[in-house]
Amino acid sequence: MSVFSFWEEQRKNVTRSYLLIFFFVILMGGFGFLIDYFFETGPWFTVVFLGVALIQVLVGVLSGPSLVLSSVGARPINPLDPEHKQLENIINEMGIASGLKPLPKIYYIPGEKSINAFATGLKSENAYICVTEGLLEALNREETQGVIAHELSHIYNKDMLYMTLLSAILGAVVIIQVMAFRGAWLVARTGGGRSRRDSSGCAYAIVFLIVVGLLATIFAFLGRILLFAVSRQREYLADAKAAEFTRNPQGLASALRKIALTAGKVQNASIATAHLFISDPLKRKVNEKEGFFANLFSTHPPIYKRIARLEGKSPEQVLMELEQ
Amino acid sequence: MIALWIVLGLIVLILIWGIATYNGFMVLKRRIENAWAQIDVQLKRRYDLIPNLVNSVKGYMKYEQETLNKVVDARAKAVSAQTIPDKIQAEGALTQALRGLLAVVENYPDLKASEEVSTLMEELRNTENLISFARQFYNDNVMTYNTKLSIFPANVVGNMFAFKPATFWEIAAAEEREAPKVDLTKL
Repeated sequence: MSVFSFWEEQRKNVTRSYLLIFFFVILMGGFGFLIDYFFETGPWFTVVFLGVALIQVLVGVLSGPSLVLSSVGARPINPLDPEHKQLENIINEMGIASGLKPLPKIYYIPGEKSINAFATGLKSENAYICVTEGLLEALNREETQGVIAHELSHIYNKDMLYMTLLSAILGAVVIIQVMAFRGAWLVARTGGGRSRRDSSGCAYAIVFLIVVGLLATIFAFLGRILLFAVSRQREYLADAKAAEFTRNPQGLASALRKIALTAGKVQNASIATAHLFISDPLKRKVNEKEGFFANLFSTHPPIYKRIARLEGKSPEQVLMELEQ
Repeated sequence: MIALWIVLGLIVLILIWGIATYNGFMVLKRRIENAWAQIDVQLKRRYDLIPNLVNSVKGYMKYEQETLNKVVDARAKAVSAQTIPDKIQAEGALTQALRGLLAVVENYPDLKASEEVSTLMEELRNTENLISFARQFYNDNVMTYNTKLSIFPANVVGNMFAFKPATFWEIAAAEEREAPKVDLTKL
């Protein structure tokens, strides 16, 4: 496979991701506009939605990687340990290969026996790559190099920024959904005790809030599907980029094979952090299945498809090899 | 009058484009120089590492004197190389000699067990990778620069300011491409 095909793959992925984000923003705008249009509420809903979205984005951007790192129990590596020293060397190598400066800091999850890794941080000045202890034990130098290149690509491509913005917007929709249903319930409870005169106004407000809530539910659902789609595209892109950096697609492919054949889940990973990892840390069945629903709801592409792309084989053949 | 303005506007646009293109070439040229300097840093690191490595494995590898001598000779040649083609040639030979040493060390369990040696070996492997990735990064940048320099209309600006195509760091010695062979009959 030539170098150029990696670049092509990457460009295609970037375009697709931009399109997805564009689509998401249109959806959000459309949501605010729909409410304002049908209920003649002026610009108020748009303003409130934007305010909620802004707060979400700020919280996402400001809370930073330390929260994620502490939630999985990660610690800085110790360069005196030969295995950790090797990891540090590999990161330096990938820094030279990618030209990325400054390099991310390296953490590991002690006692975590599954094979996995993730990157976090919106800017390379404040980025972290974290691996499990199991990864250090199970993977050889070339395989580790492939995984680190994959994680570095996420930072290089500013994937965390896209993902954080997307999940912030999604969070905003969920907040609106909850607020609307709570509001409807509140009006129903307090409004019931008042005089007959107000009851039609009350009913109107309840119907209005329920409609808003239902709309938000639909948009949260669509938004989640989009978020997953972006997440999957980003994984393919990081694989392609890792192959470009290392010029050794086999290293990452072989690491993915080892990951596919081990069963362990990452103990402290949650749904909130799952999309960060190189392969689904929860080992959810949906991520390895094919079909319409599996395609919509998985954070990661099926691992055999990723291996197939890296090795230039057909997915069916890789699946057969893995099942042996 | 309108025609004059159109002509003036076109001249300004072309000037702006010319300046932007010129700056683009300068940025790429600096990046190439920087990448070259990075290779140099790694090569020096390798020169410093080799004497330590040779000293620490010498005791274990009495029957591999030839492999060790090859490394020491290749290092001396690389350090003294003056011109860039000579340098590229000598570094290629050194890389080849070191790969031979790495492959031989795999056959000495005592050696691999020694913490000092395994630390040095990891350092060597790291340095070898840093050199090849630095070279890869350098060559990628040279390719971008040379491509831009040869494509119309940017090449007009390039020729006007006499930008020269940069040289790729080719892998000079053919044997450097080959996987190192290990002679198992000696053991």
